[in-house]
This record gives sequence, C-alpha cells and structure tokens, in this order.
Amino acid sequence: MNVYSKVIVFLILFVVVITCVSCEDVIDVDVQTEPSRLTIEASIDWEKGTTGNNQTIKLSTSTPYFSTNTNTNVTGATVSITNDTSGAEFIFVDQNNGTYLANDFVPILNQSYTLNVLYNGEQYSANETLKPVTDVKEIRQSREDGDDENALEVNLIFDDPVDEENYYLFRFKEQGDLLAELESADDEFVNGNEISWWYEKEDDSSTNTEEFKPGDVVNIDFFGISESYYNYISILIEQSESGGLFSSTPVALKGNCINLDNEDNYAYGYFRLTETVTSTYTFQ
Amino acid sequence: MFKNLKFKNQKMKINELILYSLILFLFSSNVFAQETYSISGVITDKRNGETLFGASIYLEGTTIGVITNEYGFYSLTAPEGEYVLVVSYMGYGEVTKSITISGDQKLNFEIEEASNELDTVVIKGGTSERVSLRKPEMSVSKLNIKTVKQMPVVLGEVDIVKSIQMLPGVTNNGEGSSGFHVRGGAADQNLVLLDEAIIYNTSHLLGFFSVFNADAIKNIKLYKGGIPARFGGRVSSVLDVRQKDGNTKNFGLTGGIGVISSRLAAEGPLFNDKSSFLVAGRGSYAHLILKAANEDNAASFYDLNLKTNYSLSDKNKLYLSGYFGRDVFNFGDSFDASYGNLSGNLRWNHIFNDKLFSNMSLIYSKYDYDLGIQVEEFDWVSSINNYNIKYDLAYYASDKFKLDFGVGSIYYDFDPGRIIPRSDQSSINPLSLDRKKALESSAYINAEHKLSDNLSVQYGVRYSNFIRLGGQSLSDYANNQPVVYNTTLGIYERGVEIGETEYEDGKTIKDFGNLEPRLSLAYQLNEDSSIKMGYSRSAQYIHLLSNTTSVTPLDVWTPSGKFIKPQISDQYALGYFRNFNDKMYSLETEVYYKTTDNRIDYIDGSNLIGNNTIEREILNGESRAYGLELLIRKSRGNFTGWLSYTLSKSEQRTPGGNAGGLGISDGDWYNTAHDRTHDVSLTGVYQLTDKWSFGANMVFQTGRPVTYPNGQYEYEGLSIASYSDRNSDRLPAYHRLDISATYKPNNRPNARWKGEWVFGIYNLYARKNAAAISFAQNIETGANEATRTAVFGIVPSIIYNFKF
Repeated sequence: MNVYSKVIVFLILFVVVITCVSCEDVIDVDVQTEPSRLTIEASIDWEKGTTGNNQTIKLSTSTPYFSTNTNTNVTGATVSITNDTSGAEFIFVDQNNGTYLANDFVPILNQSYTLNVLYNGEQYSANETLKPVTDVKEIRQSREDGDDENALEVNLIFDDPVDEENYYLFRFKEQGDLLAELESADDEFVNGNEISWWYEKEDDSSTNTEEFKPGDVVNIDFFGISESYYNYISILIEQSESGGLFSSTPVALKGNCINLDNEDNYAYGYFRLTETVTSTYTFQ
Repeated sequence: MFKNLKFKNQKMKINELILYSLILFLFSSNVFAQETYSISGVITDKRNGETLFGASIYLEGTTIGVITNEYGFYSLTAPEGEYVLVVSYMGYGEVTKSITISGDQKLNFEIEEASNELDTVVIKGGTSERVSLRKPEMSVSKLNIKTVKQMPVVLGEVDIVKSIQMLPGVTNNGEGSSGFHVRGGAADQNLVLLDEAIIYNTSHLLGFFSVFNADAIKNIKLYKGGIPARFGGRVSSVLDVRQKDGNTKNFGLTGGIGVISSRLAAEGPLFNDKSSFLVAGRGSYAHLILKAANEDNAASFYDLNLKTNYSLSDKNKLYLSGYFGRDVFNFGDSFDASYGNLSGNLRWNHIFNDKLFSNMSLIYSKYDYDLGIQVEEFDWVSSINNYNIKYDLAYYASDKFKLDFGVGSIYYDFDPGRIIPRSDQSSINPLSLDRKKALESSAYINAEHKLSDNLSVQYGVRYSNFIRLGGQSLSDYANNQPVVYNTTLGIYERGVEIGETEYEDGKTIKDFGNLEPRLSLAYQLNEDSSIKMGYSRSAQYIHLLSNTTSVTPLDVWTPSGKFIKPQISDQYALGYFRNFNDKMYSLETEVYYKTTDNRIDYIDGSNLIGNNTIEREILNGESRAYGLELLIRKSRGNFTGWLSYTLSKSEQRTPGGNAGGLGISDGDWYNTAHDRTHDVSLTGVYQLTDKWSFGANMVFQTGRPVTYPNGQYEYEGLSIASYSDRNSDRLPAYHRLDISATYKPNNRPNARWKGEWVFGIYNLYARKNAAAISFAQNIETGANEATRTAVFGIVPSIIYNFKF
C-alpha cells in the first residue's frame, strides 16, 4: 500500500509496454556459485482460535541457483525455542526429513523468544517477538477494485489499529497452483483506516495463468509481523523477480539467524513469530 | 522567491576578494608592447542569418586568431599593419579579406554553407582544426547538427542524446533507459543546458527519443572534462545545447513526417529585420506501438520550442527562449502518468566596446511528474523548480589574452512528493513531504592566455556556495546516526528518531563553499600535432535519488544539507591530437583519471519515494573512474565519419562511516552500473550521388555490470535466490549495426520546397541485446529461469523531411 511499491508496479508495467513481446525469452546464463549455507525456516504462526502448541521448523541447505536437486533436507540438528521471560524451553524433535516438530509450544502475544539451532558443530541463534494481528472483518469478491476492472478479485477487509505501527504479511494461493504469492504492507499512509486488500490474477498464456472464475478456491493467510521481519520479507518479495529494467539492485538478504561461532557463516531464512488468520474463499 | 537571493555569506565575500585580486594580477602581468587595435563583429550564416558559434577568425601568417562565442561574437586584437583575414567554419566556405589595421573596427561576416552539389566552394580543410590544436580546450566534443541528422537512428527520429553516445567516453545504461553517462559518471552528474536552462530529464518515452528537437537546435557541445570555470554544479559533464535564433532573412518551414512522430518548425524575420523567431513543435501519434501490445495502454509525448530575439541597437540584443515538453502514459484503468521539463529564459547581450562583451540571463526551469493511481484513487506528484540569474562577461584584452568572468545564483525549490487523494473514497491519507529550499551562488574568472607561439594556457577558478535554507524541520537521531549498522545481524538499519529541529523560513540549515580551480594547457609540437593537459575540480550540490538499475522519470532530486554532503570531483586528463593528410583525418587521444567524493549509495531495501527522511536510506561513499579514449575522424571527401574507442573503469566504494560497520560490499570497491571496459563505435556517411547518401553505425560494448543470483534456498515453499556481491556479474556484450539511406529527389538549387526521404534500419541483424536479465521461478514448473528482455528487435523506419 505504500507509494514506493506503486511506483515500482508502474515501472514494471512500463517495461511490459515498451518491450515487444517476442523480445522476452528464457536463456542460459552462467552464474556464480557460493558455498552452501544452512537455511532456517522457523515460522511460528499461531492461528487465531487454536492453542498454537503444534509447531514445525524446517532446516535445509542452499544449492546452486539453477540446481534441480530437491533433497536439501538437514537432519541431525538440535533445535529449540526459549521463552525469554519464563525461560521455558520447547524442544523441536528431528523427524529425519528436514522438519523438526514440537507439540508443547506455548505462544504468548508480544512475548520475545530465542531460537537455538546446533548444526555441524556450530551454534545458530535468533531473537524475535510474537506479533498479534487484527481480525478479518469480511472477505468478499468484486470486479472493479483490482488493476483490471473486468477481472474478479478477492478482498480481505480489516481495520488497522490506530494506536500503533502495524506490519502485515498476506499469503494467497489458489488451490491447484504450485506456488503461493506473498505480499507485505505497512500502515504508514493508511493508519487507522479500514483497509481492503485485494488479490487478483491476470490472464497470461505464457504461464497458463487465468483470471479467477466462479468456483475457484483461494487460501488466504493473514499475518501480523514485526517491523524487522517486514523489512526482510519486503526485500525478499521484491527480489523474487530480480534484474528487471527498473528494479533495484538485488542485495544479499540477511535474516535474523546469526552464527555464534562463525559470523560469516550466517544462515538464510528467518525466525518469525506471528499471529495469523487463515481463511478460504470460493468465488461465486 | 527572489528575496532569498539577497542572502550573503561571509565566506563568499572573502572569496570574491580573492577573485578580484586575481583579476588585477592577471592584467598587470600582461604587457602591452606595441600599439594594437581590435576588430570585432558577428559571424552569421548567409542563408538564414543564424549566428555561428565556434567559427574561427584569424590573420593569415600569424598566430592571431579567435573563435566566435555562443552569440556569434568575436573580437581580436592585432598590431597595426596589413593582413589577410580568414573566416572559416566547419562545413562552410572560407571567406578571406585583405584588411589594414590602423584603428578599432567592426567587421561582420556572412558565410555560406558548402553544399555538395556546388563543388566550386572548396572546403579548405583544417582551418578550424588549426585553431583547435592551439586552443587549450580539451575533452570537448562538438557535433554539427548536420552530422547528427545524417546518422541512422531508431525510428527515424534525429536524436542528439543518442548521437553523443557514439563519441568516446559516453555511454548509456542500455536500451529503454534515459540519460547518459560520461567518463564513468552517473546520469545525474551531467549538467544539461538548453539555452542555459537546466534540463532535468533528457529523454522522452524513457530513452526512445531525446527531448531536443533537431529542427530547433543549432549547436551541441559536450564537455567531458576541462569544464570551463563558467560552468558548475555537476561533476561529470556539461552538455551545452543551443537553440536556433530563427531565420532573419526569409520565412521558412521545416518539418518531418515519421511513423511514430511528426514535427514542424516555423521561423522568419520580424519587425524589419530587427528580430526573428522560431517556433518548433513535435508530437507522437501516441498509441501506435503500444496499442498493439495491449489496447488499454497508451504512451505519447510532445514538445514545443520557442525562440525570439530583438536587436535594440548594434550593442544591445534581447533573446527570449522557451521549452515545454511532456510525456503522457495510460495503463488501462490502473495508472496514468505525465512528466516533463519546462523552461524559459530571457537574455540581454550588451557589447560595451570592441573588447568587452556581456550577457545577462534570467532563467526559470522546472521538472515535474504526476503519477495517478486510479485503483487507490490518488495522485503522487513531485517537482523541482529553479530560478537562475547570471551575468557573464568576456574581455578580449589582447591577441594573447582573453578573460571570462561572471556571477550567478540559482534558487531551488524541491517538492519531493505529495499524495493528493482523488476522491473521498480513497483509502489513502493525504500527505505532503517537506519542501526543500536552497540557494547556489557562484563567481568565476577564467583566462585564455597565449604564453608563446606554441604554448597556450587556460586557467581559472570558480567559487561556489550552497545554502540549504530553512522552512522545514529535520529529524534528530540517536547518536546523530540516521543509519545504524546492526552488528548482530550484520545489516544497515534506519536510525532511531529522537526528536525534531525546526528551521525557520530563510534561516540557514547548512552552507557549503568550494573553490574549484580549472586549468588546461596546450603545447603545439608542430603544424599538425599538439599535446594538451588539464585539471579541473567541480562541486555538485544536488543529487538524484535512484537505487534502480537505470534512472527513471520518477526519481527525485535532493539538495545537500545537514546529512548529505556535496559531491566534489577532481579530474586529470592528458591528450595527444594530430591531423593527417592535409587535415583530412584527425586523431584525438586522451587519458583521464577522475575521483568523486561524497557519492551516495543506498542501504539494502532502501525506500526513496514518499520518504521524508532520505538520510535514513543512504550512505556517503566515493567513486573513481579512469580510461583511455581514442577518436579517429575523417572530415572530408565523399566518405566521412569516425571511429571511437574507449577503455575504461568506473568504480565506487561506500564505507560505513558514521553508521559503523565496513560499509556496502564490506567497504570494497565495486563496479558502478555504468562501468564499460570496452566501448567501440563506428559511424560513417557516404555521399554516393547528389541524390543518395548512406549512413551506418556500429556499436560494441562490454555488458553492463549487474548482480546475479549465486544460489537458492527454499523458504515459504518458494525458491529464494541469494545474490552475489554488488555489480559483480555482467550482461552479455552489447552490439548492433544500423544503416540508413537518404534520398533527395529533384534538388534543384532554386526550388523553394526541398524534401528528403530517410530510410533506416536499426539493429540490422536483429540482435537481441539484453537490456536486462531477470531471474525468477517459473510458476508452472517451479524451476528457476533467466529471462532476457530486449527492448528493440530489428526496427525499420521511414521519415519524410521537408524545408520550405
């Protein structure tokens, strides 16, 4: 919702318009390869109305950019989260498939937690606070609100709390699609307003993407996130397609998982704690 | 607004004092031995009465000679005696006249363009080079508008900005990008002047067309270094573009009808030859190319040039010129945008006497944009305005000594951005970023001094002063750190605001003063060759905020102040110049080394638009560039053209400084986006017959530095790229060939209507030059892919130009 992201969209549209269609093609490019790093996907998401006791952390390793190797699971690591106030420790048990599970996690809003991972003899650590999220008032569909007035979009409607800075993450995924779409927002220009956040798809024959039509089902996850995670995920989203004519120079994105034994060998990924509202919408 | 011009500052006075004593020193060091007299006057084109800039006037058999200034004025001084005076200008017939100098006199000359069908006018080559070998002026590229018009161009529209990119040391950031880069400098480091007014955006439709309508332009001069002391405010180059004054002899129309755009210019005399005017307009038929892609989208541009002058007397002449240009876009129902430059200029030429010429200018210029976001129902607008007053004088002291001096002041008003909701329903709150105001003043003095027959020197100094004015508040930061290095996470973060300081209107927030020495000398080795060297320092007080690969029309300028220091550059250059074969060929080689302090770079994830606290997004760094330039020109015969080659390096480094940490890329040097190792261009025109001529351009360039992924990891079910060090990869090499053919049917010398057809093919072998390569996950297969974006394939064009 900020002006900057609108300007970026404008510039991307500009490139689309000035470029002849046949002048875009997929090519082979030689890229550099850096040594593999540990990736920590510690997303502790507490769905409203649940206990939040069951949580999963994923560990994997990075691979060369064009590698199609999907077996990057990390096993044998020691993973735990500590409540910084009470000192309560929650052990995540290795499932030998790259995931680590806990079924006794106790989520507390605005509580700070510390993640500890021991892998290959090195200690990784991260610190983060669990952020609440406002309620979703309504989910409805429309045609006229999105970029394309003729295409269907889904609208997620909520009231932005006026007394604080809020940061949001949205995850939209149509059932049947391979990849989810992430969007982030802050309330800088819309503080205290009722916000209607829409999501729409456009026809694109090159990727077999179609507009929403009645009967389509879309999963919507709505997260309250911290400012530092917002900074992180916004860069990640912006860089999910990099190198365009007017995109900013991509940067080496660092998360909050630091290596206590070897500073340079930091981990990718992030330790986030959120409150979330999960919904499903079926187009009429 | 002008009340702020009254602003004076103690430092400035001291430096004025220094300048004046320097003037006195220069005069006293100059010995007047023999009785000398001055000849002065104006050189004009016989056909249309346009004054000629850069024509040379010299006394045959002596080393006494001068070059006309921007207004066609010259003044030369010689001892009593009999002489043969020669007037020459590239592409014009030479005029000789026997004169007796026994007193001051005024001599105006009209010279005639040498046309190809009239072989009787022999262009005695090299007369203008003769002077240029001696002249200490270096690192300067002059392009005749006639040459520019013969070069093949994309879509058939004559383009000055693209033409200068064929010269050594000048590149662009790839197709579909606006601006240009000189000697490894950034696009915002070029001072672009149209009749002295600052132009902030040189391109229409993001680099498709330049903002300069060739029909309205007389001269183009690009200073890549050795910038004379009368120019300042930018550290990389000066592109000095002058509009035509308008035909003083006859009413005439020129125009062109092309596939994408058309243009028309009218000019003629007014008020019994005391005055003349020029009006030129240009517009695109918008939507042609774009409609094809998607019928909802449209883009178009138009511009208007105006110029008129009035001779009050022999010694007083007024000039009024103006420019207005605009680009307009529509993207279906989601976005609309428009942006452009506006400038106006009133000048008063006054000739005090044969030796003293003066010009006073009042200039206004503005760049603004308006981006309408229809879905959210708001407009995002931003602008930069400046009011400029300057007074320049030229004193032709003797045959060995010429002095330029003057003062100037620019008042800036920056509007970094405002949100204007279009309706009550808009969910966006209105917002105005703080306006920023500043005053940039300068005084300069520059001497051209012929020390001996072989040695000429140009030396001068410019004093510039920049005052960032109040009328806004600025944030205060914890530990005075707008940006802080987070040692735990190893990233730069925005600093913590602890309060605000209010600066009242008219109060100084911060001021800067810089002394900018400029020096160059030419040593003539023999009749055909010379060596030149130069040093210059310049200061730049305003900065374009842009963290994208190419600059965009939506980037915002910001002044120096409490948090941003002025850029200071030092450039050293050395050159060797030689004419061959009775001046049919010339060779120009130069090496340069340039450093710039306080070049800003941006922290990771910086947000530059709609941001009141830009200082939280940037770090101060430095840049350096060095290179070798080679230009071989053939300026006579049926085949004319040039080959240019540049070998160069452009880097920058951004240490953490006050913010802590090592800095961007660990404080190491990294390539700037405009670093090009090799850059070769070949351009040629072949005159086959009176009716047919052919042109070709060939370009080869090392690919632009970019940042590619160097790995991937899984997060949120997506493949996320990790990236290598900033600008450590390169796009594939860029090369292309363009050709053009010009056909002039039935060119009877006396015909009133003269037409020509220009056929062109841009990118003849249809190379898909990557303007960008983007990396993303294929949403169907999930595999990572590299997608090349090429802006132009093969582009044929046809245009009909006419003169009446």
